Amino acid sequence: MRELGKKTLKNEAIIQLQQVGKKFSRHAVLDKVDLTIVQGDRIALIGQNGAGKTTLIRTLLGQYHHEGQVVVAGAHPRKNRVEVLQHIGFVPQHSPPIQMSVHELLQFSAKLNQYSNVSKISQVAEDLGLDVGEHGKKPFLKLSGGMKQKLLIALALAKEPSILIMDEPAANLDPEGRKAFFLRLSQIQEQTTMILSSHRVDELLPLINRIIELDCGKIVLDEASGEHSLAGKMLSCRVKPANATEGIHKLLNEWKFEQSSDGTFYEGQIIDADRLRFLNAISHFANHISELNIT
Amino acid sequence: MKESFDIFLAVAQAEIKESIRARWFFLYSFIFGGAVVLLFALGITESQVLGFTGLSKLLVTYLQLCIAILPIFVLITTVRAVVGDRESNVLEYFLSMPISLGAYFWGKLAAKFLIVFLPVLVTLLGAAGWGMIRSFEIPWRLVGYYILLLGTLAWCFLGIGMFISSWVRKQEWALGLAFLTWLVLLIFIDIIMIGVMLQNQFEEKLIIGISLLNPLQAFRTGAILLFDPELSSIGPASYVILDSLGSQGFLAFSIFYPLALGWIFSWGGYIVFKRGDLV
Repeated sequence: MRELGKKTLKNEAIIQLQQVGKKFSRHAVLDKVDLTIVQGDRIALIGQNGAGKTTLIRTLLGQYHHEGQVVVAGAHPRKNRVEVLQHIGFVPQHSPPIQMSVHELLQFSAKLNQYSNVSKISQVAEDLGLDVGEHGKKPFLKLSGGMKQKLLIALALAKEPSILIMDEPAANLDPEGRKAFFLRLSQIQEQTTMILSSHRVDELLPLINRIIELDCGKIVLDEASGEHSLAGKMLSCRVKPANATEGIHKLLNEWKFEQSSDGTFYEGQIIDADRLRFLNAISHFANHISELNIT
Repeated sequence: MKESFDIFLAVAQAEIKESIRARWFFLYSFIFGGAVVLLFALGITESQVLGFTGLSKLLVTYLQLCIAILPIFVLITTVRAVVGDRESNVLEYFLSMPISLGAYFWGKLAAKFLIVFLPVLVTLLGAAGWGMIRSFEIPWRLVGYYILLLGTLAWCFLGIGMFISSWVRKQEWALGLAFLTWLVLLIFIDIIMIGVMLQNQFEEKLIIGISLLNPLQAFRTGAILLFDPELSSIGPASYVILDSLGSQGFLAFSIFYPLALGWIFSWGGYIVFKRGDLV
């Protein structure tokens, strides 16, 4: 675990909000929020559009003035932004239209972040399925949505942050990328506090141990979701189609399944965190499947 | 401190690369560089107007062009610096990195200054170099003073642009406000509004005040003063200004006033940026 200053904060509050309020044109987007997050919390931050998720995240990043008190990693994120943001890895929901080339962005990020360097970022990106060397000269803006997302995740993870804040992080990833991403998160879950904002809590369940729901700027649900240490577990899966359709073949190819030599079934591995997504994807072909095993 | 400076340099470097990548930089360089080439090609150095010939004549003409187009170019390219990044969520992402607000703001400003001033500087030095090749007498004092004048004018409008960019929340507003600022300042130079005010016998103090407040007027008068100490080629308002400050005093004023104004607006922009919501 990376130390925050001189103090290791295991089981101590790493984020504390007291009576935090934020208004835009007299409309309260955050309404007297009290929240304590301890080291090791892995939070699914859920809520409808306009519930205040993004405002809360931006407040934690020191980007908004607010009422009340916010302490992140022992300091105020606005007054001590450089110190605090060294500990935070952030992945936004929408990739910003950055004009820099991929290589320049890597260098820029590595220069700013104490614990990051270009080779570490490249390695994480490669683990996620993005070859930085191949795309190094391309402007970040010109990458596909999935590539951008992978690079932003790599930039955040390479910092080895104590706090990871991600807004819909897996939305644009392909199955392989998602597998690598969830595996990576499961590997760092002990030493990293995570705040994962999403519309779909089911996707995050294997990763998280706490759910916080916001509605109209207030916390309306804050409960433990139970420890799901299976997030990084790989599941073997076997699919036997009743009849061969192009759709099933294409889908299973995307999930990197291999067809048996006699062509009667497919086998592959999925990560536990992706189980629901996989079942949801394959359910469209339910009438064409005679056998499905996940172990 | 060293870390802050490193971050400042990283931001400035990124901004320079981004500006060079953008098409406007080439357009900007082409216009300012091309203007001098065109003036040479048109034989402006051979003509004689109001007694000026050679490189002096070219520089005078070039400065007259700059007074109209340099400020608007600087404003247009600067006013989107903060507000544009804010609207496109680039600011949200970059400011989630450990960048101090000072390093971000001043890094951007310094880079923009280099980008807008460098083509003008290269053009003026290029004109002097070409003049040497053509065996013109090079008015080095004039060249040096014009470099200073153009530098401070660029700095002044850069400050105004950054202030607007930090202050407003929409790009359209920023562009509109920038254009309005340029238009008002352009109207209030001696050949337009101040001439009219003099004709209509407005109070002298009011006219002097407006003239002194307008950085474009300071630039225009300062630019002409060096080779035309009597200001015979300029409207009547400049006589009034000259009577108040004297020739040397006005030369110093035309350098330091836009410089100070640039700093005031830059600091104002920085304070607005720092004190408000960042995104």
